[in-house]
Amino acid sequence: MTRHIIRRLIQAIPTVFGVTILSYLIMVLAPGDPATLLTFGLTDDENNVYRNQLIERYSLDDPWIIQYLTWIVGNDWMVWKNFDENGNPKEDRLVSYGVIRGDFGESIRQRRPVSELIGERIWATLELGTSTLIVSLLLGIPIGIGAAVFHGRLFDNATRIFAVIGNSIPNFWLGLMLLLIIGVTFDNQTIPILNIEIQTDWARGGRCDRIAASRTGCGSIPIYQRLEYLILPTLVLSLGGIAGYSRFMRTSMLDVINSDYIRTARAKGLRDRNVWFRHAARNALIPIATFLGPAIVSVIGGAVVTEAIFSWPGIGRMFLDATVGRDYPVVMAAVLISALASIIAYIISDVLYAIFDPRIRF
Amino acid sequence: MKRFSKFLMLGISLALIAVLAIPAFAQGGEGDPIVTSNIGDDPSTFNPILGSDTTSSSIYGRMYPSIVAADPVTLEPAPNVAGGLATGWEYDETGTVLTVTLREDAFWGDGTQITSADYLWAVNAVQSGVTSSPRTSVFYELADGTNVGGTIHEVTALDDFTVQIRLGNVETDDNGEVIVDADGNAVLIPNCDAINDINDVTPVPAHIYSAAFGDDYGSMDSDPYFVPESDGGIATFGAWTDPFIEFGVQVSLLADQNYPDTQLGYVAPAEWILQGVEDTTVEFERFLAGDFTTITVSADRQNGVRGDERFQFIEYPSNGYTYMGYNLADPSNPQAGRDENGELIDQGIHPIFGDVKVRQAIAYAVNVRDIIGTQPDGDNPATGILEGNGYPQATNNHPGLSSVDPGVEPYPYEPETAVALLEEAGWVDADGDGVRECQGCLYAETVDASYEGSPMEFELLTNAGNNLRERTGETIRAQLAEVGITVNFQTIEFGTLVDELLGQEFDALIIGWQMAIPFNAGSSANSFFGIGNDRPGAGFNYVSYQNEEMQALINQGDTLAAAEDGSYGACDTEVRNEIYAEVLRTLWEDQPYLWLYAANTMVATQGNVENFDPLPYNSTWNEDAWTISGS
Repeated sequence: MTRHIIRRLIQAIPTVFGVTILSYLIMVLAPGDPATLLTFGLTDDENNVYRNQLIERYSLDDPWIIQYLTWIVGNDWMVWKNFDENGNPKEDRLVSYGVIRGDFGESIRQRRPVSELIGERIWATLELGTSTLIVSLLLGIPIGIGAAVFHGRLFDNATRIFAVIGNSIPNFWLGLMLLLIIGVTFDNQTIPILNIEIQTDWARGGRCDRIAASRTGCGSIPIYQRLEYLILPTLVLSLGGIAGYSRFMRTSMLDVINSDYIRTARAKGLRDRNVWFRHAARNALIPIATFLGPAIVSVIGGAVVTEAIFSWPGIGRMFLDATVGRDYPVVMAAVLISALASIIAYIISDVLYAIFDPRIRF
Repeated sequence: MKRFSKFLMLGISLALIAVLAIPAFAQGGEGDPIVTSNIGDDPSTFNPILGSDTTSSSIYGRMYPSIVAADPVTLEPAPNVAGGLATGWEYDETGTVLTVTLREDAFWGDGTQITSADYLWAVNAVQSGVTSSPRTSVFYELADGTNVGGTIHEVTALDDFTVQIRLGNVETDDNGEVIVDADGNAVLIPNCDAINDINDVTPVPAHIYSAAFGDDYGSMDSDPYFVPESDGGIATFGAWTDPFIEFGVQVSLLADQNYPDTQLGYVAPAEWILQGVEDTTVEFERFLAGDFTTITVSADRQNGVRGDERFQFIEYPSNGYTYMGYNLADPSNPQAGRDENGELIDQGIHPIFGDVKVRQAIAYAVNVRDIIGTQPDGDNPATGILEGNGYPQATNNHPGLSSVDPGVEPYPYEPETAVALLEEAGWVDADGDGVRECQGCLYAETVDASYEGSPMEFELLTNAGNNLRERTGETIRAQLAEVGITVNFQTIEFGTLVDELLGQEFDALIIGWQMAIPFNAGSSANSFFGIGNDRPGAGFNYVSYQNEEMQALINQGDTLAAAEDGSYGACDTEVRNEIYAEVLRTLWEDQPYLWLYAANTMVATQGNVENFDPLPYNSTWNEDAWTISGS
């Protein structure tokens, strides 16, 4: 197993390079550039000055391969680019150290380190993604088992209808409807959408140089104070998961229930409870392990639309804004995080598969 | 079976507990805050010297004074206005030296008096050119001698409360060389709007900024959320102070009860909160839910708010308009308007839009009033894309903000006139297929004879996701098809649209401009139609409109010298308005854009906001007096 994991990690290195180089190429070849988009709308005079500043600071006029290399290894060693013709350091130029030295660069739109931006928002995304995954699994799996056990009966039919509805309703529609119904019809008193006073009291209570990330560092609201905000976004995001997991678990459970060893167990006179949960359900869970990989990626990847609807300060929306605004360093951080998360998640998936199914050997 | 049901219920209960349990302890604020929405990024800075984005300026604009503030009603620079430092100003006889007198009763929040040194420090910081400030463009030269070409040449503090500014346009000889006086200074001619440039630099508490950054102005960039603070307190000057940011969530400011320019003698709301929201639909629904104290309501939702007694609102014509811009030059070979020597470059003509008759025909063929529509009336529902919440735009002017009256009306909807003009321009439907072909059109006659017989067809672009523009584009496509013009309408991502626009390789596109306040017809026309601003990749005259006569009029209006016979003085408003009216009439006649509409702006607040006394274009001028009852 250890050897397998190490082998997979080594294989991941060219994969990550391939993904990032391809992403960088696509990004810079796409029409529009960050300097133009940031300065569009300024007066012509301001535009000229500011645009040149941005191009100089972020070396946006370099060929794309140099920009990519800079992102990977930094530019502090490029002495010929960091000094002017008189040998003086260029004050406007941003010195970077590259992702291999832990420097994700600086956001062109916000002029702040990308690692800071991600650090401020990743916890909110993990919070929402994890709660969604937990709720999806905790509800989806029992419902799926129940549907298989009561195969062809009312509960099974009801869960089928629920699954169709759950998979059909778009997140954005459900989110907006809940926002409207809870917020307007019930005057925001039933389930809190967002309590601004709590936000601001806690933030200011924490102080910290007037800067706080809502989910990390000083000024952040303790988790028990903001669980209520999770209700609606988790409900919206987990609906599809519950529907999907329940149908998959039902199918897997039915396969197992009809297998020979279950028939044997029944023939030996084991009680239904033991057959379903000790023998059938455990084995039916094995294929679910293959779903956990992509599910973990989605936990990290964020939920753009739901974050937008519920003003959830996660990374999903930040990455989307960065893509639209051609904020190259932030986009590349998103690509890298996503690639690494996928690789790690699939390794976890493999490991879980081996744990659940003793027949699997790597 | 019974035990299984228990297991099932246990699973469901655990899941619900995981998210539903533990209701929050509602923490009441100290007062009733103003909560407003922000669609866009977090503010990039609290520092007025560095800021360039609107979110940042909405924060520091509430905490720092202006050297010359605008009157809340006229929106023009005025003395003795709340939040401003100037008690008066005067030009010398040349119109190039401005002396501004500052008030003596203004103090930073830490008790230090505000003096001309505070303005000078900010001037030096911006003029150093080593910060990320985009405002360096207001200076003629940076500290290192780099020529930026702005209007401000020199700023001097005559005493603690008097600032003298030398400003204007440089005078050049026939060879384009700058003429200098005996002292080596450039000889200046008045720039009639240069007073607005001095406001681009905001005074900051020099005693704290210099202690924090010294002469290393560039180091400000590494501390963008710097807030000046001394033992005496936070040194800001405004109704709000003590900013606090939660990234991705909100920015809050606290009331500053030491601020002397309040409406009531105190700041009524305890806090001002700018909360992030990513989408206008969500923003509107959260306003309906009572989350936001005030928002700006988009045109397609205004009818709903207008009839709802829960809300208060003000409506006025927007300071932005939507238009269809034509590429007037050869799109296969984008070029700048002038060469290095300032000579006009022949840019060729667009096969279709190079002919003014075609552009005028399109203006007659598009029913803009139909696009705007009507508001609901009794049982009659709203019509049109704007549901009646807008007005047709005639030219690059703003009836609500401009004192210039060009005396022109939007082109009427007359398809017959359009057809006649198209046929006169050599575009006829010879084969009867419903699409016109070039039969002696201008392009075939003057540029390329092989163009003869080509169909009248062009590509129209706009940005995806803008519902009003998308629907407008569809309507234009349908209406132009009626007169035999084929429009290939496409929506593309905004960044791509900007690339197309600045690249000058498009046929036509639908987009909008926001007009600056205070509005200046000359500088606005120069920005969008000035020959110098026709630069592929950068300039806003991306339609490549070249009209030297109009350019000369703009320059004349901008630098109006006194009449030799004494009939008018330098920068005489009436004379300038007559000049600009001629500029706007020229644009109306030449139709480099198909001017479409300006949507109405509606600013709405919750009904429980007392003292909501909005002014057009300045709905929050007295927000420090807003009292929110019953919340």
